[in-house]
Amino acid sequence: MSINDLQFYQIAVTAISLVMIYFGLEKFLRHEAGQSVLKLAVRMIVWGGMAAVALFPDITDTIAAFIGIEGNINAVVMLGFLLIFLIIFKILSVVERIEQEISALTRADALEKLKK
Amino acid sequence: MTNRVSDRIWIIIPAYNESSVIGQVITSAHRHGFIDIIVVDDGSHDPTAAAAATAGAMVLSHRINRGKGAATKTGIEAAKLLGADIIVTMDGDGQHDPADISRLVAPIAAGRADVALGTRSLTTPHMPRHKVISNRIANMVAWSFAGLWVADSQSGFRAYSRQAADTLNTRADRYNYETEIIRQIREYRLRFTEVPISVKYTAYSMSKSTRQTFGMGLRTVYKMIWNTLSF
Repeated sequence: MSINDLQFYQIAVTAISLVMIYFGLEKFLRHEAGQSVLKLAVRMIVWGGMAAVALFPDITDTIAAFIGIEGNINAVVMLGFLLIFLIIFKILSVVERIEQEISALTRADALEKLKK
Repeated sequence: MTNRVSDRIWIIIPAYNESSVIGQVITSAHRHGFIDIIVVDDGSHDPTAAAAATAGAMVLSHRINRGKGAATKTGIEAAKLLGADIIVTMDGDGQHDPADISRLVAPIAAGRADVALGTRSLTTPHMPRHKVISNRIANMVAWSFAGLWVADSQSGFRAYSRQAADTLNTRADRYNYETEIIRQIREYRLRFTEVPISVKYTAYSMSKSTRQTFGMGLRTVYKMIWNTLSF
């Protein structure tokens, strides 16, 4: 396979994936706060997987056949969307809870003056 | 008109970067006989707190900006701690006229209502056209989420009885606060009345509201949808 055989989206996804992996590696090697081997591994798997699927689309057929969902790929895609929505919902819930806690803390701090 | 001795009325003014007008708002309220005023400085970057204190208000300060709803709730909690019988909330940008406070608290002092909602007339000649349209849309949105039709769902000029202040338990920090109050009035079956108020559209207040209208409106709708789904 030469670069001339690649479509634009394949090049774009691969480039973005490489950039994201590079940033992850850089953060990990600089020992930035919150970086861990697990986080780096997840980043490598997710972005590496995207690059692999973009460069070799036939991989998905092999994977689907391997795990036995070849004939029901739409259901898998729908489940994937559902999972993403659930994750987003969970993240928004956490953000909302933290916002509420920050407000409560800020309020308690402001009212401290009256309670002295 | 001065306050009735039997009713301890506290005025709550949430303020964010209002140093140029907050002093006038407080002085005007004092002139109308309302001396118990709490300004909640919501993490301002200008000397709002100092200006309010100089004008004679009690000042409580949020270390960081948490939004109008959060600041108003802080003020209401403070007024409750101070033994308020009636709590009035009004904006700090000078658009509300303290001369209206007496009429606003009258139904509560008389025991006819738990909440009095200050209502701006949509036919006021001075009200800019975009404000008329945005208020009508806001009323429709508030009605959809709160299930209660009111003539001015976004007015921050309101009065609460002590019982209502004890009952209401808002979680909205930002501009969705006003709509959440409407929703809770219905939820807790509080008696409410709508009191016509005057409003002053100064160049200052308009410059703030114009900036807020579209972006804040979208955020408010988003928060209301989120609250409906998650609470």
